[in-house]
Amino acid sequence: MDEHNEQELAEIRKVLKELLVTNLNLEDIEPEQIKDDEILFGQGLGLDSLDAVEIVVLLQRNFGLEVKDMKEGKKIFYSLDTLARYVLENRKQ
Amino acid sequence: MNIAGIGIVFNRGRGLPALEKALEEGWVPPTASRYSVSDDFIKDRVILKEMRRADTFSKMACLAAHDAVADSGLSVAGKSSLGIILASALGPYVTTFRFLDDILQYGDAKVSPTVFSHSVHNAAVSYIALCLQSRGPTLTITQFSQSFYQALLLAEAWMLEDRCTHVLVGSAEQCDDILEYVCRQKIHLAEDGKIEPFLFSESPKAVPGEGSVFFLLDKQETSGKYGKISIHGDNGVQGLDMYLLECSGLTGDEAVYRNDAKAGPLISSYTPLFGSMMSGIGFSCAAAALMLKNQRYYAAPVQSNPHNAPLCGGHQSAPLNTIRCISYGCHNEKMEFTLKHAHG
Repeated sequence: MDEHNEQELAEIRKVLKELLVTNLNLEDIEPEQIKDDEILFGQGLGLDSLDAVEIVVLLQRNFGLEVKDMKEGKKIFYSLDTLARYVLENRKQ
Repeated sequence: MNIAGIGIVFNRGRGLPALEKALEEGWVPPTASRYSVSDDFIKDRVILKEMRRADTFSKMACLAAHDAVADSGLSVAGKSSLGIILASALGPYVTTFRFLDDILQYGDAKVSPTVFSHSVHNAAVSYIALCLQSRGPTLTITQFSQSFYQALLLAEAWMLEDRCTHVLVGSAEQCDDILEYVCRQKIHLAEDGKIEPFLFSESPKAVPGEGSVFFLLDKQETSGKYGKISIHGDNGVQGLDMYLLECSGLTGDEAVYRNDAKAGPLISSYTPLFGSMMSGIGFSCAAAALMLKNQRYYAAPVQSNPHNAPLCGGHQSAPLNTIRCISYGCHNEKMEFTLKHAHG
């Protein structure tokens, strides 16, 4: 990945952290406290299935991305990093 | 129906100590153009630990309901004999409008399912039942006028038919820029933040408020440390110590209260402490119950009195047995209920 893409990826991670904290009402967590490779569900951030639905909506609203295949979704939603990379590779310009 | 416990969240804080302090201190101007509940008052990591998704309306109601049960000292977990009734004029309208805004902004396929689920009026009561692990009947009465009174009637019915031994009855209202805007268009707002109940004006001024109050009602007389609520019976003034008038400027013409003011007993109104709410009589009921428990008259917080009504002019500790709460709806329909001291 070239330097430009790394910068873009870092920016997407930052935006995603802010979106998650704000829209999922994550209490006592600041966006900057979320690690770049933080696991989203179960251990890690401790999100649940209702949060997964909210993340689907967030991706639609903010990046024009639709995740319809749940098998694919499992991989995409594994960590903040996998989510950010999916956005980088698929977002509509 | 005996009042076994009370919980309250309002602009001056959470809990009975905050209510008692407000009654002692009297009126203070709001920090903004309405009486808002500070976020600090609805932060509780223990009671709300499973409620991070809940909106402000649900959080206020849940905390007030929880505190009413805690105040009673009764255990309700797992019981199917506890009913829960929430009264509200508008329900969680802030969340409803957020949902509608999202449809307009993003389209119906991109709205948050969480926001939608919280716009359902019974969401707050569901949270309360979850929080208390209660398994009894739950209901939300969303009625613009006199919803708290309707909740009391239903609570009594549930008890009479032995459906419930206890009923949590409460009211909740939320206020944001939208409601304030509507109020500004439809009624007169007091720019100085002062509700003046005893002007009994044909065009009174309101100051929108928000909060939640709950009462744990019990069939057993022994638990009624605040006395009992009676919604039927003699409406005469004999034996009455005080009328609490729900003049808050919201329902238009308040001249109708003048006859009650002339009727005989001492009168008071604590709407300037809570702000104007369509189900605000619940908050007045809490003030009345606390007065009966403490055997203390609290001075009316705003005392402008051009009609020379017999106001409760100062704090005084003295025997106090019976208080009647009176409220008129938008079409001057009168609702009243009486609180009697446990030993009165």
